[in-house]
Amino acid sequence: MRAAIEAAAEGLNVAVVSKVYPVRSHSVAAQGGINAAIKDTDSWENHMFDTVKGSDYLGDQDAIEILCKEAPRDIMELERMGAVFSRDPSGNIAQRPFGGAGYPRTCYLADRTGHGLLHLMYEQLLKHEVFIYDEWHVARLVVEDNVVRGIIAIELRGGKLHRLHSKAVIIATGGYGRVFHTTTNALSSTGDGMGLALNAGLELMDMEFVQFHPTTLKRTGILITEGARGEGGYLLNSLGERFMANYAPTVKELASRDVVSRAEKTEIDQGRGVNGCVLLDLRHLGADRINERLPQIRELAINFAGVDPLTEPIPIRPGAHYSMGGIMTDVDGATKIKGLYAAGESACVSVHGANRLGGNSLLEAVVFGRRAGAAAARRCLACAAPEFPDSALRDSAHDIADILRRDNGETASALRQEMTLVMEEHCGVFRDSEKLIAGLAKIRELKQRYGKVSLSDKGDYFNSELLAVLELGHMLDVAESIAAGAVARKESRGAHYRTDFPRRDDREWLKHTVVRKEDSELKISYKDVNISRYEPKERTY
Amino acid sequence: MKIKFKIKRYNPAEGEPAEPYFQAYTLDVEEGMSVLDALLKIADEQDTTLSFRRSCRSSICGSCAVNINGFARLSCATQVMPEYAKMGDMVIEPLSNHVPLKDLIVDFNPFWSRIEKVAPYLTPTSRRARRRGDVPARENDGARVTARDEEAIDKSQRCIMCGCCNSECNALEIDDRYIGPAALAKAWRLVGDVREGNSRKRLERLSEEHGMWNCVRCVHCTQYCPKSVSPLKQIESLRSRAMKEGVLDNPGAKHVEAMADSVKRVGRLDEAAMTFRTLGFLRSLGMIPFGLKMERHGKMPKPLLFPQIENIAEVRDIYEEAERLEKEDRERKKG
Ligand SMILES: Cc1cc2nc3c(=O)[nH]c(=O)nc-3n(C[C@H](O)[C@H](O)[C@H](O)COP(=O)(O)OP(=O)(O)OC[C@H]3O[C@@H](n4cnc5c(N)ncnc54)[C@H](O)[C@@H]3O)c2cc1C
Ligand code: SF4
Ligand code: SF4
Repeated sequence: MRAAIEAAAEGLNVAVVSKVYPVRSHSVAAQGGINAAIKDTDSWENHMFDTVKGSDYLGDQDAIEILCKEAPRDIMELERMGAVFSRDPSGNIAQRPFGGAGYPRTCYLADRTGHGLLHLMYEQLLKHEVFIYDEWHVARLVVEDNVVRGIIAIELRGGKLHRLHSKAVIIATGGYGRVFHTTTNALSSTGDGMGLALNAGLELMDMEFVQFHPTTLKRTGILITEGARGEGGYLLNSLGERFMANYAPTVKELASRDVVSRAEKTEIDQGRGVNGCVLLDLRHLGADRINERLPQIRELAINFAGVDPLTEPIPIRPGAHYSMGGIMTDVDGATKIKGLYAAGESACVSVHGANRLGGNSLLEAVVFGRRAGAAAARRCLACAAPEFPDSALRDSAHDIADILRRDNGETASALRQEMTLVMEEHCGVFRDSEKLIAGLAKIRELKQRYGKVSLSDKGDYFNSELLAVLELGHMLDVAESIAAGAVARKESRGAHYRTDFPRRDDREWLKHTVVRKEDSELKISYKDVNISRYEPKERTY
Repeated sequence: MKIKFKIKRYNPAEGEPAEPYFQAYTLDVEEGMSVLDALLKIADEQDTTLSFRRSCRSSICGSCAVNINGFARLSCATQVMPEYAKMGDMVIEPLSNHVPLKDLIVDFNPFWSRIEKVAPYLTPTSRRARRRGDVPARENDGARVTARDEEAIDKSQRCIMCGCCNSECNALEIDDRYIGPAALAKAWRLVGDVREGNSRKRLERLSEEHGMWNCVRCVHCTQYCPKSVSPLKQIESLRSRAMKEGVLDNPGAKHVEAMADSVKRVGRLDEAAMTFRTLGFLRSLGMIPFGLKMERHGKMPKPLLFPQIENIAEVRDIYEEAERLEKEDRERKKG
């Protein structure tokens, strides 16, 4: 949406196509905040250093520099658009500490930052008269001669296939958390854009880096914001110990997410868990602080786990949260296909490298969304509309008819369930060669079976089952990319932790993993990391 | 434990029943399961053709509002076991006051156009409305907003646009062109923002027909909002701001003005005089029966603002506004 606003402000005719209404996008669930060095006592260089270090030196430093330098400007712009950031007593924008950051630089709107900003983007869409095709599911990116021509989308309401002819397309389809069983992501976060991109011939980068968030609710995986630790929450094991003291003695609970997730998993695996969880204790913060700063967290804990954090600690465990990898782009969101851009969580610029810092991804979506919008606008103003191939609609219609025609196969939901369990078991917080290779084989087997999945709903109106089949196709591609990248990377870096290679290996592996699809097979290659200011050092907290 | 879910089905396709009908599914439910979990389980295991909206499953995206045992609720935030224990039933229907498209999915376009009607974006005062691109690199460009300023709009900005309030709104049931509580909460989000530059213009527009004066104060919106937005409270804020800013050239406000006069003059309500000045307004509102919803719900809303005489709620509303106005007036004279 940020990209659309930018392009519309340039006077272009812009439309947003989304499978859910824009205010339902999963950014709405972001709680903790958005980072920017806006105070005199902070600097973009500090922000950059924290981000580089957080990325375990795999982030591209040219991109990170842009992110951190432009962040304050974007925050002010959001405020100007109408964002209601929480304020400090003197009326300035307040900031809270976040894991992995050396300065409290996370701006927030209580614990509803994503909700506030997403609704703000929606307001601006209306203001700029951007056309909204809501509940349209993109089924295909139309590319010919390395130039994008538009997209094919299904209108969910009546099942019609539409062609949207355009000079530029920006993919901003968010993450793929649903590939894993326990996840903080929405039911709609199925990595469609990454699958679409692979099918269109694009490359995905660093897919093996999956962030596991340390504090997700027991049964559902619903997120308890890092802000809860930022505000001073403790993590306790079954013995009541603040176990983070053993893993990150100085910053404890505020260590980077990968570090905390592994610590929790170790505690649980070594028998110091509480029913497969550890405990997040907020009680010492007191009712006032919890009600003022973390009201939504209290509500979520009560409604979804039956625990009131005022009186009881919250049972939590790690869950898949964020996709560091994604569609490979340059710092303007451009891909190698002309007119095709990507931004937000579906893209990999790469600013997060092997591990993203909390509060940096909303920022990424805003900064690089804006830049992608501007770059797409420049291109649109400079070129004529390329032709739209007649065959595209026909091909898509055939694909879908094929799926609808199949009978007596497995259901998509059964296959999806299996996939999520395989990924959790084989590509989770702790990985090793044996587990990964077996996991990859299982995913490939699931892909075979996917070809025979059939539907019982053959109707046109809101056919959720058809949607589930299309999403599953993308998820399997994403799952395979993650597993293949992880098998190959014989080191531990950021969120990718291999018990058989527990150290980082800069000599061999200070490079990005790149996957692409060739004749429906995934091929892996590697790309150098951009290192400008900060040479790799050991990462300790 | 096994529970029978009675779900309203509807499919506009040819060859399907023309009228919505109920279909029953028996499901094994466990502690902690939400109605959304149950719907997903039914769709996965029993009937893949069942359609309903969903996304975040943590009560923040606003997709999954349906009617559960007669009331508008978020299906993700409603736990099956306690709900069943309380109501002894599990009847799931699409939201009321909305047109069903398929099964539990309703047409939300009217909802969105209502939101669009209030121009739901900040239009800052000229000092702050600088040219695009001219954004300061640092904070403190005079754009200070205090915690108290934020407090004023805090509730209104919690709205997730789920439509529960509109679904339960009595005024909307009477007049389907009424702007409705969700859009009015959004309107206050802007009018109440210290940075907004066009509050007065907004209030004037909101005072037009089918606008904020249509609300009959049944409190349903506040009662059924899952995010404590309290739309009625926001509507009251809009109304009293309109009075304060002198946006009076409309039937609703005239009504209040008459009241204020009367209160100031004799210190009590002079109904005859008031009715005379606001006859038009009463005619537009008073003749229409409501209470239909009340019957369906089988009870009165909690804060008992709803006596038998139809216009009394409105009169009380106005009475309170007038009192507030008078108090402000007094304070102004004092200070
Ligand atoms: C619970 C949670 C909390 C978080 N908290 C924070 C935080 O505090 N700070 C922070 O910086 N980051 C946070 N993040 C991460 C951050 O929210 C996301 O990375 C970011 O919001 C992603 O934005 P996006 O615009 O890329 O994608 P999304 O907001 O997910 O939007 C994706 C859009 O693409 C559409 N789409 C997808 N596929 C299709 C298709 N096939 N056809 C049509 N449309 C499609 C969807 O409908 C949706 O509109 C959090 C993430 C989660 C899950
Ligand atoms: S109080 Fe007013 S706006 Fe709210 S539901 Fe009742 S009539 Fe509708
Ligand atoms: S005001 Fe409440 S009930 Fe109405 S749309 Fe917003 S969140 Fe839903």
